[in-house]
Amino acid sequence: MFDRRFLEHFDWWLFLSVLLLMAIGFVNLNSGSAATGYPFQWKQLQWYIAGTVLMLSLVVFFDYRLLTVYSVHIYLIMVFMLILIVFIGKTVGGSQRWLSLGFMNIQPSELAKLATVIVVSSYFYHDDKPQYGLTDLWRLALLMLVPIFLIYHQPDLGTALFLVLIFSSLVYMARLKWTSFLLLLGSAIAAFPLVWEFLKPYQRDRIMNFFFPGKDPLGAGYHISQSKIAIGSGQIMGKGYMKGSQAHLNFLPEVHTDFAFSIWAEEWGWVGAVLLLGIFFLMLYRGFLIASQSRERFGAFLAFGVTAMLFWQVVINVGMVMGLMPVVGIPLPLISYGGSSVFTTLIGVGLLLNVRSRRFMFQKGTRTR
Amino acid sequence: MKFKIKTIWHVKRFHQLDQEANKRRCDIAILIMFLCLVTFCARLWHLQIVQGEDFRQQSERNRIRSVRLQPPRGKILDRTGRLLAGVKPCFNVCLVKEDVRDMEALLAKLSPLLGETEAEIRTRLGSEQKGPKYVPIVIKRGAEWETLSRIESRLFSLPGVFIEVTPIREYPYGSIAPHLLGYLGEISRKDIEEKRYKGARSGDLVGKYGIEERFENDLAGVKGQRRLEVDAEGRLVRVIDEKPPIPGKDLYLSIDLELQQASEEAMKEYVGALVALDPQTGRILALVSSPAFDPDAFATGIDNKEWEALNDPVSRPLQNKALQGRYAPASTLKIVVAAAALQEGIVTRNTSFECASRFRLGKSSFRCWNWRGHGQTNLYKALVESCDIYFYQVGLKLKNEKIVKYANAFGLGSKTGIDLPNESPGFIATPDWKLKKYNEPWQEGETLITAIGQGFTLVTPLQMACLTSAVANGGTLYSPVYLEKLTGPDGHIFASFESDPKGKLPISESNLRIIKRALVGAVNDEKATGNKCKLPDVLVAGKTGTAQVIGQAKRRQDKKLDWKYRDHAWFVAYAPADKPELAVAVLCEHAGHGGSVAAPIARKVFEKWFQIQSPLPVLRPCKTAFNIKSIDNHV
Repeated sequence: MFDRRFLEHFDWWLFLSVLLLMAIGFVNLNSGSAATGYPFQWKQLQWYIAGTVLMLSLVVFFDYRLLTVYSVHIYLIMVFMLILIVFIGKTVGGSQRWLSLGFMNIQPSELAKLATVIVVSSYFYHDDKPQYGLTDLWRLALLMLVPIFLIYHQPDLGTALFLVLIFSSLVYMARLKWTSFLLLLGSAIAAFPLVWEFLKPYQRDRIMNFFFPGKDPLGAGYHISQSKIAIGSGQIMGKGYMKGSQAHLNFLPEVHTDFAFSIWAEEWGWVGAVLLLGIFFLMLYRGFLIASQSRERFGAFLAFGVTAMLFWQVVINVGMVMGLMPVVGIPLPLISYGGSSVFTTLIGVGLLLNVRSRRFMFQKGTRTR
Repeated sequence: MKFKIKTIWHVKRFHQLDQEANKRRCDIAILIMFLCLVTFCARLWHLQIVQGEDFRQQSERNRIRSVRLQPPRGKILDRTGRLLAGVKPCFNVCLVKEDVRDMEALLAKLSPLLGETEAEIRTRLGSEQKGPKYVPIVIKRGAEWETLSRIESRLFSLPGVFIEVTPIREYPYGSIAPHLLGYLGEISRKDIEEKRYKGARSGDLVGKYGIEERFENDLAGVKGQRRLEVDAEGRLVRVIDEKPPIPGKDLYLSIDLELQQASEEAMKEYVGALVALDPQTGRILALVSSPAFDPDAFATGIDNKEWEALNDPVSRPLQNKALQGRYAPASTLKIVVAAAALQEGIVTRNTSFECASRFRLGKSSFRCWNWRGHGQTNLYKALVESCDIYFYQVGLKLKNEKIVKYANAFGLGSKTGIDLPNESPGFIATPDWKLKKYNEPWQEGETLITAIGQGFTLVTPLQMACLTSAVANGGTLYSPVYLEKLTGPDGHIFASFESDPKGKLPISESNLRIIKRALVGAVNDEKATGNKCKLPDVLVAGKTGTAQVIGQAKRRQDKKLDWKYRDHAWFVAYAPADKPELAVAVLCEHAGHGGSVAAPIARKVFEKWFQIQSPLPVLRPCKTAFNIKSIDNHV
């Protein structure tokens, strides 16, 4: 099965950027752990190692094209786990998001992100059309509403909306008819007041607080204003590693997960923050390049979907901690603490590398069998 | 597995057109991503570089709380080192508003603990709305042990609340000379805005009056600072550094505690003032203004009722009457007029006038206090029996101009120069002034009443004490001092204080002796007005005065008059007459005759003084040793 061409087509830049992100993630979490007083970094390191092994073995031993066959199973497993949560899920911080596997807790909603990418890509692979209208999409939409509703029910509005975002990105890739697009946009705007009524008070607060910041600096906006102080006080060169006062004196909430970028920017300053964003850019750029260069429909959709998933996570998380986006609990890939998130990201990157590495199978003019 | 791979081996590829579209979509995605990257970098630039300094400061403030360390205020001691005003710890319940998330809940918890209503606490918080952030606000000053322990045990559930220890004044002998020592009060907003005191902030206690105000900078010391690192809940992480406070300097006064206490006791029933000086040095040994006030009340807070009582327009407890009270000198001025007359050669000691209780000047008639008249009166008799007619005659010959000149030379009409704010210079009227003020020329009759210390002339008890001292010590007029020295807590002397001679009385030694001899007589002679100050073993010299407050066509008994129309009682004296150790001026407002009211008070002061000097009942060099004839011989 192993082919020398695997190595030739292996995306070393993507691999390097992921390794760098993990290195930064570990270093940063080391500081964040000192702040919270709980050694997260070692657990995260285990996941990095396990995830990297999984990622590389995926590249070598797994042909991503199999996913077109197994997408139905993946979909069913995802929905099953999400339903399982309703009954035996662990409740943390008011929402039921975790499944206990004994040795570790997994967060099915994290895995659902990747599953969504696979399922939707697979759908577009099977249902091959140059353009799609609403009539072509309602079945897929209905399919996706099930996990989205289950995640919304946890409640985890952020991830639910995030799935919508991944879905939309892939629909964009598949080309939506203009008329359908306008129709969707119009109905979304019309439905907004209805959705607003549907939201929980704290969710409304977050949105209101995003549009009217500073109205309640000690309430819902407290975290964001502390995060902005943390980032801003880093100035150009940062306060120095392990010296971020905002993080270490507990002014920053959730330093190990959602606000991991803030502590990085506080301790390493503008230089460090831009460097980190640059590495993310490199990773995502390579991801989109893989999607762009794939000559095969499923691979292109899969690569685009995975990259879009990572892209939206970065944009939402970094935008949030800088106060450019409402507060949504979306982790920063590989930087935030969390096994499920690390695995999802690394499996996603594994798929990207997989698509890239198997490009040679579709060389121009070559026909396999 | 092999089978399945085979089934999908013919993977769908993009058509040529689709591949182009695919690439275009990815390019757009890359472009969007790039724009996001640029936006984020710009946002980071804005946060970290443009606003970076602001945020850095905010994070520093988040991190570092500075706690001020209050230095113990300098002590105030009497001339022998007895503690008049010390310091003791005061426990204040403070609140940092910024640390409180839920003010309502906190107030609901605090209210029963402090035993005050929520509204009361709120008003204390509300008045500090504007001030800088993260500054503790005192919500209960001087809390009791019981309250403290109740709060201390619940501190954990009271975020933002803490207990602060500040040094405040204590008075081991009770309130001593409050008008001289002054009091501490919460610093006013105006003082903070004008930065009158370095490093002061709202809620601080500063000297508001008297010595506490005048020597605020020396007594206050320098505040220290302890910088603490705290976390988001305001909990202490560690102490960063500490700059210890520098204690205030100690102030030794020239006041004698025992004499002061005796003087205050003697003056207790009267509204008025008493000043006791050492005539040889110009040091103040006792200074009383009555009624007194409680200086502690100002530090812990005064309610409306107390404030009204302190500002009572009749007794004016807050006024230091020794410096600020202005009274007609009445017959005590006769010392000055007699000296002037002798010096100007208008009279000799033998010149006498007939006193028939009445003196006519033009159409007006001026009376002597003694309705029987004094008969033939010379200078000695005129001073001893305080004959008014004699001094009408003298005044008439002396003219107002000379009276003014000598009054000024005796220190009247100008500030004594004591180192306290708001001293009154008193007032000596001149014809020019009257013309300007009333647009009327000076009347000769006014010269007459000026000569007996009535009319426009106003003096302070302190001025009279200085004047008496000058007469006692042979003619040197001192600017009185109430300070001995300023020392550090280790005893290092920063400054010593001596009184400056302000001037010399323009009286020849022999003339002064005539006056002094008459003043001895004014206390010790049989018909003397001041004989209630006569001591069995020490010779006292003095002069009474009874200042009319209203003009009366016919003399009426004081008891029949309203309090506010009654006469002021004056008595100035020094003793021992040959070698004066103590000069006293007493004024009692609306108390009646100087001889009957003020003289006994002065007597108590003298008695106390000589008891302090020789506490054991030994025979001290007294009248037997003191030779009246020595004065007579000089004359």
